[in-house]
Amino acid sequence: MSRNAGSDVKAAYLFIAPAMIGFFVFVGYPLIRSFYLALTKYNGLTDPVFVGFGNFRRLFTTDPAFWPALRATGYLVLLYVPLSLILGLALAMFCNQRFAGVRVVRTLAYLPVVLPAVATITLWKFILDPQVGLLNTILDRLGLPTSLWLQSPNMSMPSVVLVMLWGVGGTMIIFLAALQAVPTELYEAAKVDGASSWSVFFRITMPMISPIMLLQVILQTTAALQTFNQPKILTNGGPGFSTKVLMLSIYENGFPTLGRIPQLGYASAQVWVLFVIIIAVIALTAKFSSLWTYSDNTPD
Amino acid sequence: MTTLPTDASLAAPAQTASPAKKKPRLIGTTSWYVVALFICAVMIVPLLWMITIGLKSRTAVFDIPPKLLPHEWTWSNFIEGPKAIHFPRLLLNSFIITGLSVIGGVLTAMMAGYALARLRFPGRKVWFYLFVGSMLLPGVVGLIPLFQLYKSIGWYDTWLPLIVPAFLGGNPLFIFLARQYFLAIPYSIDEAAKIDGAGHLRIFVSVMLPLTRPAWLTMAILAFQASWNDYLNPLVYLYSSGKWPLSVGMASFVSPFAGKTPDWSYYMATNLLYMLPPLIIFFAAQRYFIQGLGALGSTNQK
Repeated sequence: MSRNAGSDVKAAYLFIAPAMIGFFVFVGYPLIRSFYLALTKYNGLTDPVFVGFGNFRRLFTTDPAFWPALRATGYLVLLYVPLSLILGLALAMFCNQRFAGVRVVRTLAYLPVVLPAVATITLWKFILDPQVGLLNTILDRLGLPTSLWLQSPNMSMPSVVLVMLWGVGGTMIIFLAALQAVPTELYEAAKVDGASSWSVFFRITMPMISPIMLLQVILQTTAALQTFNQPKILTNGGPGFSTKVLMLSIYENGFPTLGRIPQLGYASAQVWVLFVIIIAVIALTAKFSSLWTYSDNTPD
Repeated sequence: MTTLPTDASLAAPAQTASPAKKKPRLIGTTSWYVVALFICAVMIVPLLWMITIGLKSRTAVFDIPPKLLPHEWTWSNFIEGPKAIHFPRLLLNSFIITGLSVIGGVLTAMMAGYALARLRFPGRKVWFYLFVGSMLLPGVVGLIPLFQLYKSIGWYDTWLPLIVPAFLGGNPLFIFLARQYFLAIPYSIDEAAKIDGAGHLRIFVSVMLPLTRPAWLTMAILAFQASWNDYLNPLVYLYSSGKWPLSVGMASFVSPFAGKTPDWSYYMATNLLYMLPPLIIFFAAQRYFIQGLGALGSTNQK
């Protein structure tokens, strides 16, 4: 018996060793190292020079690009996350109905999620072209106003969000799984009581899927704060600073492509600002979640 | 939009079938299908548009107003486009990087999941929470330190930063998924195997892996897509264009730095080829997809 338990321990550590090493290398080390780098001036070639909170001071006071980056990131999150959740849930509820062809709708709605980001984003870049793009062509034929989309400072971020929303199937699929887990007896009971569609939605559906909703708010916000592909490929941050989100700014400072000197310490400081924002969002969402999430199992 | 023949033909029998159900509807069946058709159109029309551009001549792309169908079907775009970015080379690169990432990511996650779910060892709970917790750690934190680390050990401009992490349990979500699946398998199975004299490696390979096929197939599909679709990491780590995977190569096609008008018809034709592998896998494995992701949606914690 005891010999058996011992072999279990040995085997367990052998099985889990790669993941444990991975944890130290990809989670532990970067956390410590990036915080240290954030406090230094470092170009990646010569040794890092300790500057305390100098990078952060520069970010918040003298850098002309930092506040616009924060603003762009906030704008993106506030526009994308609510829309993605609402559209995703609506789509999931639609696809949760039983009608012939529902599988086709479900599959097609999920399709853009599977396709490579570079492929779909570049496709949309062309669709949003003001002169020869599909979107303006359709709007024009329908007699609706057209737009410069990505080339207009006012419309560039909404356009980026529009492209991101094309992948709303990812949100849908999680909501769909949550909806399918809601016990059907609840709906049947509501039907017997003659409840209206709205009250069924607000009193049964929403409470039952609220834990998933919470998870989605956290994951979507965290992901949206780190958006890189869309602004990088669609606009490269332009026009002006209108779509230069924090991730793009970090990338440009850390990995310059135009022969500038990398500012890895400075970029790390930006990373930590973003990191703190993400932690704060998670903490706040989790803290206030008890107000609106429903739980039927007591924690053990 | 004369598309969606499959949808229309599928929708037709519903008209007769739906009155049989007594479910009350907010809106009538017809408007229901209008919505369904609209959703399908939004998802599929951009892709059809992509194909038609891929078939137009290089100059016809810039016709104002644009025509929906090419007046001259330029099939040669599917030859010339890929040639312009050395497509076969990039395709091979993508397959090597993705193939190895999939093997590593799935294997090490399954191993960790097995240990966490079925073996008793000190620190089991702690490691589980560390792995789950690390799912919330934003990837951006690792960007610069890991770049420096790889550079210092001579891995810059090699595929190693894109492959090796997968072999170190790269995706904590996979570990979590694997553990959930392993928890659902009855323990009497291991006991029977142990009595027959099987060691843990034997149990893992010949008993557990066949039983958890939906789990690791789901992971393999997700890992394939993650690696095939990844843009930021290869962009950061690979300098030589000969080592690029397709994602970076495709983006360079229409790079804002190029300073010239991109050849959109070449690009779109090539783009279709780039999309093909994930598309094929998606349609072949849809069933597993919905199953596997369904497990993510459920809230059961045990």
